[in-house]
Amino acid sequence: MSDKRVGVYVCHCGHNIAGTVDVEHVAEWAWGLPNVAVSRDCQFMCASLGQDMIEEDIREHGLTHIVVASCSPHMHEKTFRGACERAGLNPYLFEMANIREHASWVHPHDKDGATDKAKALVSAAVHRVLQQQPLEPLQVDIRPETLVVGGGIAGIQAALEIADAGFPVYLVEREPSIGGHMAQFDKTFPTLDCAACILTPKMFDAGAHPNITLLTYSEVEQVDGYVGNFTVRVRRKARHVDESLCTGCGTCWEKCPKKVIDTVFEAGMGYRTAIYRPFPQAVPKYPVIDTENCTYYQTGKCKICEKFCPTEAIRFDMEDEYVDLEVGNIVLATGYDIFDARRIPQYGYGRLANVFTSLEFERLTNAAGPTEGKVVLRDGVTEPRSVAIIHCVGSRDKNTNEYCSAICCMSSLKFDHLVMEKTGAQVYNFYIDMRPIHKGYEEFYHRILDEGTQFIRGRVAEITDAAHSPEEEGKLIVIAEDTLIGRQRRVPVDMVILAAGLEPRADAQGVAHMFGVGCGDSGFFTERHPKLDPVATMTEGVYIAGACQGPKDIPDSVAQGAAAAARILGVIFRKQVALEPIRASIDESRCSGCRICNTMCPYNAISFIEELSVSRVNPALCKGCGTCVAACPSQIITGAHFTFEQIMAEIDGILVDVHTAPPEHTAVEAV
Amino acid sequence: MKTSQDLTFHDRVVALTPGGEALEQCLQCGSCGGSCPAGADMDHTPRGLFAMIRAEMEDEVLRSNTPWYCVSCYACTTRCPQQIPITDIMYTLKQMAIQAGHYDHPHATKFSETFIGFVEQRGRSFEAGLATRYHLYHHPTDMVRLGMMGLNMLRRNRLPLRPKSIREVDQLQAILAEAKAIAAKETYR
Repeated sequence: MSDKRVGVYVCHCGHNIAGTVDVEHVAEWAWGLPNVAVSRDCQFMCASLGQDMIEEDIREHGLTHIVVASCSPHMHEKTFRGACERAGLNPYLFEMANIREHASWVHPHDKDGATDKAKALVSAAVHRVLQQQPLEPLQVDIRPETLVVGGGIAGIQAALEIADAGFPVYLVEREPSIGGHMAQFDKTFPTLDCAACILTPKMFDAGAHPNITLLTYSEVEQVDGYVGNFTVRVRRKARHVDESLCTGCGTCWEKCPKKVIDTVFEAGMGYRTAIYRPFPQAVPKYPVIDTENCTYYQTGKCKICEKFCPTEAIRFDMEDEYVDLEVGNIVLATGYDIFDARRIPQYGYGRLANVFTSLEFERLTNAAGPTEGKVVLRDGVTEPRSVAIIHCVGSRDKNTNEYCSAICCMSSLKFDHLVMEKTGAQVYNFYIDMRPIHKGYEEFYHRILDEGTQFIRGRVAEITDAAHSPEEEGKLIVIAEDTLIGRQRRVPVDMVILAAGLEPRADAQGVAHMFGVGCGDSGFFTERHPKLDPVATMTEGVYIAGACQGPKDIPDSVAQGAAAAARILGVIFRKQVALEPIRASIDESRCSGCRICNTMCPYNAISFIEELSVSRVNPALCKGCGTCVAACPSQIITGAHFTFEQIMAEIDGILVDVHTAPPEHTAVEAV
Repeated sequence: MKTSQDLTFHDRVVALTPGGEALEQCLQCGSCGGSCPAGADMDHTPRGLFAMIRAEMEDEVLRSNTPWYCVSCYACTTRCPQQIPITDIMYTLKQMAIQAGHYDHPHATKFSETFIGFVEQRGRSFEAGLATRYHLYHHPTDMVRLGMMGLNMLRRNRLPLRPKSIREVDQLQAILAEAKAIAAKETYR
């Protein structure tokens, strides 16, 4: 052990650590730990000054092992491993002690205790690093194909960017057509561009692109593999229409006698037939048969669509198919669900006819919608003369969702404009705070103020049809405190629009689990870093874009789709990616062939070699989780970088007496 | 630790209310003021009062009629997006106003005192006795109108004439005595 020379670096992280932990004392004390040849403290280890210091010390003082006591390895392990590598030291001879998240941040009121804990953590890291072995990263090839899950605007953007760069993309969409929520909208804020006019060309491009394979009416069922080499099983739900013959002429749905309320695309505001295409600009143009509602599937009779189809494309006997895709990277762009306004009973949605949700209003005001764009009450004819728009429905409320849904202020302003333009009605906006935060948004708010909307600052308490006076008869009465006056107000209106918040998809947890990504408290997918890495996830090769990561509007979704594509293109162009060599390995000479590890492995990385009667780990599939290491009854499986010796040394280190005096040591001049 | 002398008015309201820390989270959205069935009679809505507490307007807050009009229906509390125990804060303010001798209409406290008197004596509220005793003392002229309503309620079996007690009421009284002793020690004024 005597030839080993450890360098210890204690980071102040500005006041983050030094405000609580006595970092100078920790660095002084660390001189007394085994084999420590250099121990220093530094303002910011992650800055170039800190990194240069490590590099120069390795060269000048012949350091063989490095310990940095600073933040979480998630944050800067890569940074410091890089510094070691540049100075010619194997990066796995580096160890990080987390004295920020594990000491200063969690014990802000106990400086002595936090300092003691920091010393123990540094000691653990020093003891451990002495046992660490040099490791070489695994190089794996990257397949050029990409899977994009979700055909909304974020997914379409990601697919087009990658396809335009010349690489193949599979775009999987659950519904019969791509387009997502944006296809349901009428206008887009703040420019009032027609949503269809700017979306349809992109949908068409995605459908016609030689590098994009559209898999609509399809769902991912299984994901295996690792970055660069994923295998994905996709269930292609039976359309019951032969896409090679169908021309999308529309005869089938014109003749179909079965009408069904369309709860998806029309948000329950209109009907579709049992064989249907969700909307005229759908991509692909082929219809699907909804077997749960089709008369033939329920009674065995009808087949009218088949009779009238000019190309004989109807296939009643079609069954679901499975396709296995080999892809290198994955983008999740699965979008959001609208908050169910029934969960706030005092707003009366579902009970009071003329209370609408924002998505219902989008369909109402859409020229291609059920009323051809006429803004009318639930009776289908009466124009409202007064309309209330309620912000923050299912947002900023600990009883439902604590977060702000980010888009509702702006979509409410858009509704103000559309209602006034189409009906001339008086519009009231009930808001808590106005948050028009992006480019051109505040100006749009000013325009709506000019147009005469009344803004009432107060979260609505209740919507009722119980009148207190003759002028309230037959109206919906919106009750709120006008907080700028400090008085209760009862505002009678004909129509109420609830700006319902954005929620994670109902199946987001399951999807997250399948793709190995995390969900935060709010249920949206978790990014690798909230500021510096917003489209990557903790799983290499899996990226997120759009509202599945958190509520966001169209410009932000497009930006994220493009960002995810850029990240993936970078990986594809590198052709190879380095994987952490932290893998399990089996000492085959001592393996009894009991196969317990084979079934325990959550990644199917261990196979049994029949001819040798031993188990073997596929290092490319292994994620180094350690399950097999613990399970092996003969204790002959080793997790690289987490060996028995390393873990025991770490425990020995953390148990040393931290109250010993710092030793005398030879001064090391600053570099 | 802060001593009671260091505590601001806001801090004392928070400290005296179970779960009162949530008051710091008030968004000033007005859900409480909009939901309050007695809001029209209050000189400040609960939201307004919370802003005044934050601004340390102790005198104005303790002289406000707002807590005294609170009917403890908990509509505000169930709807508050920040889950602030608003009704409980109203009780705290009533308690502080009584202790400060700040409230200008002494009758307001009498109803509570009469009500609590029955609860202490029997472990239950007794509406017929409460209404009679309260009005005899404070609003004798109103007795005729209320008498008619009482008769109507009697006819519909809505007004039991004989008070009911809980079993072992002496144990409840012991608990209440203990609670009062603790409260006397913990009050910050």
